[in-house]
Amino acid sequence: MRVGLFVTCLVDLIRPSIGFAALRLLRAAGCEAVVPVTQTCCGQPGYNSGDRTAAKALARKVLKEFDGCDYVVVPSGSCGGMIRVHYPALFADEPEMRETVQRVAKRTYELTDFLTNVAKLETPPGHYSGSLTYHDSCSGLRELGVQAQPRALLAKLPGVKLAEMRESATCCGFGGTFSVKFGDISARMANNKCEHIARTGAGAIVAGDLGCLLNIEGRLRRRGDLQTRVLHIAEVLAGKDGVCK
Amino acid sequence: MSARENILARIAQARSPGAPVDVDEVIHRHPRGPIPPLEKNLLQRFGEQATRLASDAADAATMGEVPNLVAAYLRARHLPMQAICWPALAALDWRAAGIEAQVRAARGEDMVGITGAFAGIAETGTLMLLSGPQTPATVSLLPETHIAIVEKTRIVATMEDAWDRLRAEYVTPPRAVNFVSGPSRTADVEQTVTLGAHGPYRVLIIVVGDGQARPT
Amino acid sequence: MQVAAMHFKRKAAENLGNEKLQRALEKLQTKFVDGRAAAIAELPNFEDIRDAAAEIRERAISNLDRYLLRFEREATARGAVVHWAETAEDVNRIVAEIAAKHGVQRIVKSKSMVSEECGLNDALEARGLSVLETDLGEYILQLAHEPPSHIVAPVVHKTKEDIADLFEDKHHRPRTTQIAELCREAREILRPGFLAADMGISGANFIIAETGSVLIVTNEGNGRLSTTLPRVHVAVTGIEKVVPTLEDVSTLLRLLPRSATGQSITNYVSVLTGTKGGDDADGAEHFHIILLDNGRSRLLGTELQPILRCIRCGACMNHCPVYQNIGGHAYGWVYPGPMGSVLTPSFVGLANALDLPNASTFCGQCAVVCPVKIPLPDLMRDLRNRQVERHLRPWQERAALRVWSWLAQRPALYALGARIAARLLRLFAGGKKRLRHLPGASGWTNERDIPAPAGRTFRDLYRSGRHT
Repeated sequence: MRVGLFVTCLVDLIRPSIGFAALRLLRAAGCEAVVPVTQTCCGQPGYNSGDRTAAKALARKVLKEFDGCDYVVVPSGSCGGMIRVHYPALFADEPEMRETVQRVAKRTYELTDFLTNVAKLETPPGHYSGSLTYHDSCSGLRELGVQAQPRALLAKLPGVKLAEMRESATCCGFGGTFSVKFGDISARMANNKCEHIARTGAGAIVAGDLGCLLNIEGRLRRRGDLQTRVLHIAEVLAGKDGVCK
Repeated sequence: MSARENILARIAQARSPGAPVDVDEVIHRHPRGPIPPLEKNLLQRFGEQATRLASDAADAATMGEVPNLVAAYLRARHLPMQAICWPALAALDWRAAGIEAQVRAARGEDMVGITGAFAGIAETGTLMLLSGPQTPATVSLLPETHIAIVEKTRIVATMEDAWDRLRAEYVTPPRAVNFVSGPSRTADVEQTVTLGAHGPYRVLIIVVGDGQARPT
Repeated sequence: MQVAAMHFKRKAAENLGNEKLQRALEKLQTKFVDGRAAAIAELPNFEDIRDAAAEIRERAISNLDRYLLRFEREATARGAVVHWAETAEDVNRIVAEIAAKHGVQRIVKSKSMVSEECGLNDALEARGLSVLETDLGEYILQLAHEPPSHIVAPVVHKTKEDIADLFEDKHHRPRTTQIAELCREAREILRPGFLAADMGISGANFIIAETGSVLIVTNEGNGRLSTTLPRVHVAVTGIEKVVPTLEDVSTLLRLLPRSATGQSITNYVSVLTGTKGGDDADGAEHFHIILLDNGRSRLLGTELQPILRCIRCGACMNHCPVYQNIGGHAYGWVYPGPMGSVLTPSFVGLANALDLPNASTFCGQCAVVCPVKIPLPDLMRDLRNRQVERHLRPWQERAALRVWSWLAQRPALYALGARIAARLLRLFAGGKKRLRHLPGASGWTNERDIPAPAGRTFRDLYRSGRHT
């Protein structure tokens, strides 16, 4: 299986360790993992801001870069959903693009969904010991049906103690540009999420989207919580104690 | 052009091309939507749901038993032994049970209203009452206590079944079809449900015919 | 109703800081969210019913004129008078004319969001008529001179202490904060109003084409009282509320109360057809039904058409994390939350409600709970598209997106930009792992740190030989 890794702009720019963790997981699952090196952004910022032209330009680039892969795997429900669910809508008015878009969209998976349902990874290579709680990122959950998969993978790590938080599926308030444009509402939503995390007593908060994690971490630290670790699920599954060098 | 013409024109213009619907055909067929599965024992379901919605439920084998049942209910709650009732129920022996029953529409100060019911809907424990010359709607609405007598044979499974009954017995619906599911209530204050808003504070449903209305 | 949607940000900020409101909003979770979940769980074929409900609404809207004409024919045959109103002003004028024609002085009202759209109460009172709201929540708002903050639970923003204060002030009775006593007090105060009224005004949850009927759901009984006792009944409704048959209405009624309040059925469902007949014991002698457009027909045939399916259950706002935190008044008009974010700009003008469709993370929970499957996030995105097309966005926003898109299409320049940005952020962070301030990002940094970037980008590291 030739799997193209779409790392996402946030992972590329801010936390590359997530990308390397994803690679490690794909290889552990027996995939030939490739990284088209010209990749940048899936186009979602423009798409959600009402600028379809800007979004389409970036989408076309992604389609070209990944069309040769058997699968496209994304360590993000948000970008994964953009490609899989929204690219067809974005190009609905261009029938000549239909075949390409359908082909790539159909092959696009969020990371944990791919590992569980396609690659059927039996043993994640990571070692983690400690309690953690899991936040269900909105797009992953509601656009791609990602909910059981991360939990199933975490259950394969003997050292993990999963403590579910209340309202794990309630939005953390990131929402892309929403986090800056409506910062006070966004911060309140982040704070609510931090409250739920704190009540679990877990040592770490884990999620499948870096946008959510940055938002949650930003609020945790400002609240004075320097202890709770903030980890991407790829890092937990692939690294030693969540650290993936 | 009148408002009517303008509005209709805008709607017609916006309609997507395709075969226009045959409204008469759709209405003539009036297909049902998906019905949730319901248990076979409709009487039991009716009683359980009605009780869940804070109605009181009782059963009587015959209409003759009703006045004493009502009297016992009123006495137990220290309610006045005066009521207004629908004409069809006037012939019951209220006096013997100690109840003074007047046959008329309700006034603001009436405390107990006794009605029949066109049907009972088991799915939700709901009474279906029709307005009419012999069935004033105010009797079930103005008094603080509403007592409804429904025949066992008129308990149907769903609202759809009730519509079919209505179509069988009426050419067009009466002025008001009222579905009543328990005492009036409000939750406007701190989303806390409080029984007794503008309608009755309590509803007693008496199912008449041999059989159980109450859950065992 | 006066439009205040342009003040969304300011009002949202105020509401975030309003402790009392925040406590009141907490009730949404237990009462509405949990309530709905429990009620839905009782329907094993819930998703099938939901599909059918969406189809029923879509069928009606796709043939709106035909079903409205059939409704008009049936209603008129039963003695009702059907009026068509293009605008809110038309509704107010028609109601005033009806009142004048029938010598009406005292009016009781059962809840109607359409009447809020029109500012009907104010218009009637300006003509010297007395209007008494009878739904407890709406009555409280009338006393307090406030607009509703939720379409189903209009005073969700008030505590019982607020209401106790209000009643004490207006009723001149001893103050009580016991909820049952407050309700009893309202009953006693309002009962004479029902009995003395010449006219009752209601909305309509649905209008039924098959029979020409108006259907009203209430729990309190005020809907029945307002439409039974007075000699004139006026029902105001949006044109989109028409439903083909009695069976269709039964399907929708399985979902409306469950989605709204977690009830299997509302206490009262009243199906009203025509006027009091010759020997009818009670009911209105005159029945007027006003069909209001007010921008609804203009949504037909556009990508926003699905919003017309809305059955006004309120589930979307109950489950919306933005609404849960800021309450309904921030949205500045009749309809708050996700459905309001689509309806308000559609009815009062895109430019008057710019923030509403943008104040969403597209978490999608509204679409999950909508009983008629309205794709609310997609509709909000459509409105964002329209804002961009009509140049209603701040130029800085457009410029930033264009710059981002331009750079992202050019991987080498993008990589260079990333290196520069990383360096700048390290500078701002002053060597620490987090930034507390960043020019242009105060919306984030006011209450959150920015975790500092790792340094080198993934692409950079990957290309220089890192493979694990």
